[in-house]
Amino acid sequence: MFEYKLADIGEGMHEGEIVRWLVKEGDDVLVDDPIVEVQTDKVTAELPAPVTGKIHHILAKEGAMVPVGSTLVIIADAQARPAPQLPAGPSEAMLHDDSAQPDLPVAPKPDGVVAERFTSGDRGHTAPLAKRALATPHIRYLARQMNIDIEQVEGTGRGGRVTEEDLRRFRDDLLEMSSGSVTDEKVGEALTKTPERAASPDATAHQNGRVERVALKGIRKRIADHMVKSVSTIPHVTSVDELEMDSLHGLRERLKTVAQARGVKLTFLPFFVKAIVIALREFPIMNASLDDETGDILLKHYYHIGIATDTDDGLIVPVIKDADQLTVFQLAQEIASLAMAARTGKLRLDQVTGGTFTISNVGSIGGLYATPIINHPEAAILGIHKMEPRSVVRDGVSVIRTMMNISLSFDHRLIDGATAVRFTNRIRSLLEDPDQLFLEMM
Amino acid sequence: MSRNLNILQAISEAMDQKMEQDGRVVLLGEDIGTNGGVFRATDGLLEKFGEDRVFDTPLAESGIVGSAIGLALGGMIPVAEIQFLAFMYPALEQVLSHAARMRFRTRGEYSLPMVIRTPYGAGIRGPELHGESVEAFFVHTPGLKVVVPSTPYDAKGLLVSAIEDPDPVIFLEPTRTYRAFREEVPEALYRVPIGKAKVVQEGRDVSIFAWGSMLQLAISTARQLQVERGYSCEIVDLRSLAPLDRDTIVASVQKTGRALIVQEAHKTAGMASELISLLNDEALVYLKAPIKRVSGFDVPVPFFSVEDDFMPTQARVKQGIVDTMLF
Repeated sequence: MFEYKLADIGEGMHEGEIVRWLVKEGDDVLVDDPIVEVQTDKVTAELPAPVTGKIHHILAKEGAMVPVGSTLVIIADAQARPAPQLPAGPSEAMLHDDSAQPDLPVAPKPDGVVAERFTSGDRGHTAPLAKRALATPHIRYLARQMNIDIEQVEGTGRGGRVTEEDLRRFRDDLLEMSSGSVTDEKVGEALTKTPERAASPDATAHQNGRVERVALKGIRKRIADHMVKSVSTIPHVTSVDELEMDSLHGLRERLKTVAQARGVKLTFLPFFVKAIVIALREFPIMNASLDDETGDILLKHYYHIGIATDTDDGLIVPVIKDADQLTVFQLAQEIASLAMAARTGKLRLDQVTGGTFTISNVGSIGGLYATPIINHPEAAILGIHKMEPRSVVRDGVSVIRTMMNISLSFDHRLIDGATAVRFTNRIRSLLEDPDQLFLEMM
Repeated sequence: MSRNLNILQAISEAMDQKMEQDGRVVLLGEDIGTNGGVFRATDGLLEKFGEDRVFDTPLAESGIVGSAIGLALGGMIPVAEIQFLAFMYPALEQVLSHAARMRFRTRGEYSLPMVIRTPYGAGIRGPELHGESVEAFFVHTPGLKVVVPSTPYDAKGLLVSAIEDPDPVIFLEPTRTYRAFREEVPEALYRVPIGKAKVVQEGRDVSIFAWGSMLQLAISTARQLQVERGYSCEIVDLRSLAPLDRDTIVASVQKTGRALIVQEAHKTAGMASELISLLNDEALVYLKAPIKRVSGFDVPVPFFSVEDDFMPTQARVKQGIVDTMLF
C-alpha cells in the first residue's frame, strides 16, 4: 500500500484544492499517469501517480481544501499486499489531530443545523459566502492578544473551527513573510485590519445584514498579501506620459491581414512587449531587482515579461519567457495561449513565476492613467491605458491624434525619476515611430 | 481527637455541642423529641436537654417556622427541622415573607439568628414530595443563606457556623448521603465558614461544580475518566449556594477553560443557570467550550424507582465531560 501525500508543489503552499480526480477507486494506474488535479493559490497542477498499482481508497474529496502533508489517496502497489482496514469514520484520534481530517469542513453529526450551515452549497467552490470565523471565546481572546484578525485564519478544527494551532501557524507565516526583521506587533499591524476593528468584530452588526462578510482567501488573499508586501517594502513613484499611436495603428492595420493568414490575431500588445524589451536592454536597472536580504542589486540578462491578466478569480500574471527571443508573431501567439490558460485556470507554476518586468494592460477596459503596484521583487511596472482620439497641438495647430497614456511605477531605491522618464521616452519613440523596431531586429 | 462519623452523626453532634455551649439554642420540629427525628438526627437530645430545649410541634410547617421566627426575635437561637424539603411549601409564607425580610423590614434593628434544617434530594425511593431539590427558591430570595454540606466534616463545621450566624440559614442535608460513608470528624467544636467553596480535587482540563449528593457522583466519574481517557478534572464542592464563592468558581474556570455543572434539581432556572451566568460575566474569554450542565428534568420529581431516570447518572456526567473536552 502506498499512501500518496500532498506535497508542497511550489511557493511554500500550505493547502491545495482537489479540483478533479482523473481516476476512481478500483482503477489501475501506471507510474506517472496523471491521477488528480490540484489547485494551489495560483495554478492548477496535475499530479502523477507515484507508483504503478490499483487505486485503493481516495481520501480527499473533490472540492476539499487539503493541507500539505495529508494523504490524498492510497494506492495498492503492484506487489499486491492485503489492504489494511480503514476506519469507517473519523476516530477520536483524528478529532485530536487536525491534519487527519483532509475533507474539512465536516460538521459533527448531532449538530444538524451547524452541519447544514457549513457544508451546504456546491462544495466545488472554495469561497464560502459571508463566512464568519468559528472559534471559542478563548481562541478569540488569544487572537486579539496576538493581534491577529481571526477572520483571516483558516480553521482546521472540528466543523472548521479555528484552533490554537491555527493561530500559531498563521502568526508564524506572517513572521516568515517579514523575514523576521519586524517585530511581532508590527507584523500584526501591517497585516490585520485596525486593532479597534479586530477588537470589536461586531462593529457592523447593527447594520442588520446590510454588511456581508466574505472570507479573504485563495487567490484574493494571495494578491492582498503580495500587494501589502510590495508597497510596504518598495518606495513607489509613478510617472505618466502620453503616446501618439497613429503610426502604430496604421502599421497594425496593414499587418492584420498578414497575421490573419497565419492564424494569428494581432493586437497592440506584442508591439508593446517588443518595444519594452528593447528599452529594457538599454536601461538594465529597469530589469533589475533588489535582494532584500543581502542588499545587492540583481541585474538580469534575460527578459521575462509578466502580463497582468484579469480573470474571474482575480488578477493573475502569466509570464512570457525570454520575450527578447521572440518575434512579434510569436509574442502574439504566446500572449493568446497564456491568456487562455489563465482564464481556464490551466496555468502551470512555471508560467506564473520568474518575471523580470510586468505590463498591466487595462486600456481595453478604460481609465485615463493609474499608479500600478510593482510586482515584487521586480523594479518597475508599466500600465498601458485606453487609446482614444484626442485634440493635441502639433506645429502650433490643434489636431486630432490617437493618443494613449502609459504609467510607469518604479522602485525609487534603484531608479531615479530622470532615468524613468528617459526609459519611457525610449518606449515612446519606438512606438510612435514603429519603423525603428526594424532597426532592433536580430 | 477524631472519630469516623457519617453525615447524620456529624449533624447531631454539632447540635449537641452547640446546645451544651449556648443555652439559647433550642430545637423544634415534628417528631424530633420523643421519636428522635424522622432520620434520628436529634436522637437522645430530648433526654439530655429536656422539654424546655427540645420540643415536638404539631404537623404544621408554617407554625414551626413562624414559632422559630418568634423565638429568634425573642433572643433564642432556634434550629427548626422540616422533615423533607418539599414540606417547606406550607411554610414558604413564613420563610419568604418574614424570615428573609426581618433585617430589611426593621432597618437592621432585628436580625433572625435561626436555622432551618431539612433533608433534601432524591435517591431514597421515597414517595411523592420526598425527593425535591428546590434549593434555587431560597437562593433566589434575598435575606437567606443557603448551605449544603456533602461530607461529614463539612456537615458539622457548617452547622456550627449556621447556628452562630446572625441571619436565617437554610441548611440542606443530602438525604441520600446521610449514612452513605464516614470520615474523620474532630470531637472538638470547629467551624467551616459559610460562603467558601472547596476545591476537592485539583485538575487542569475541566472544572466540575457540584454540591450535596452530586459531589460523590462527580468524584467517581472524574476518577473513571482519569483512568479511561487521562482527563484531569478539577472538582469544586460549592458547599454554600448563597452567598456563592464567586472567586473560587471563576478562578477554577480561568485555569481549566471548561466547565461542567452537576445539579440534581430541575434544569430550568436552577443553580447551574446561575453559575453559567456568572462564568459568562467573569470568565468568558477563558472558555474553550460551551459550559455543560447535567441536571434533573423539568418534570415533578418522580417517586420510587423512577427517580433513577430523573437524577443525573454516571453515564450522563461522563458524556457531559467528554462532550466539553472534545468540543
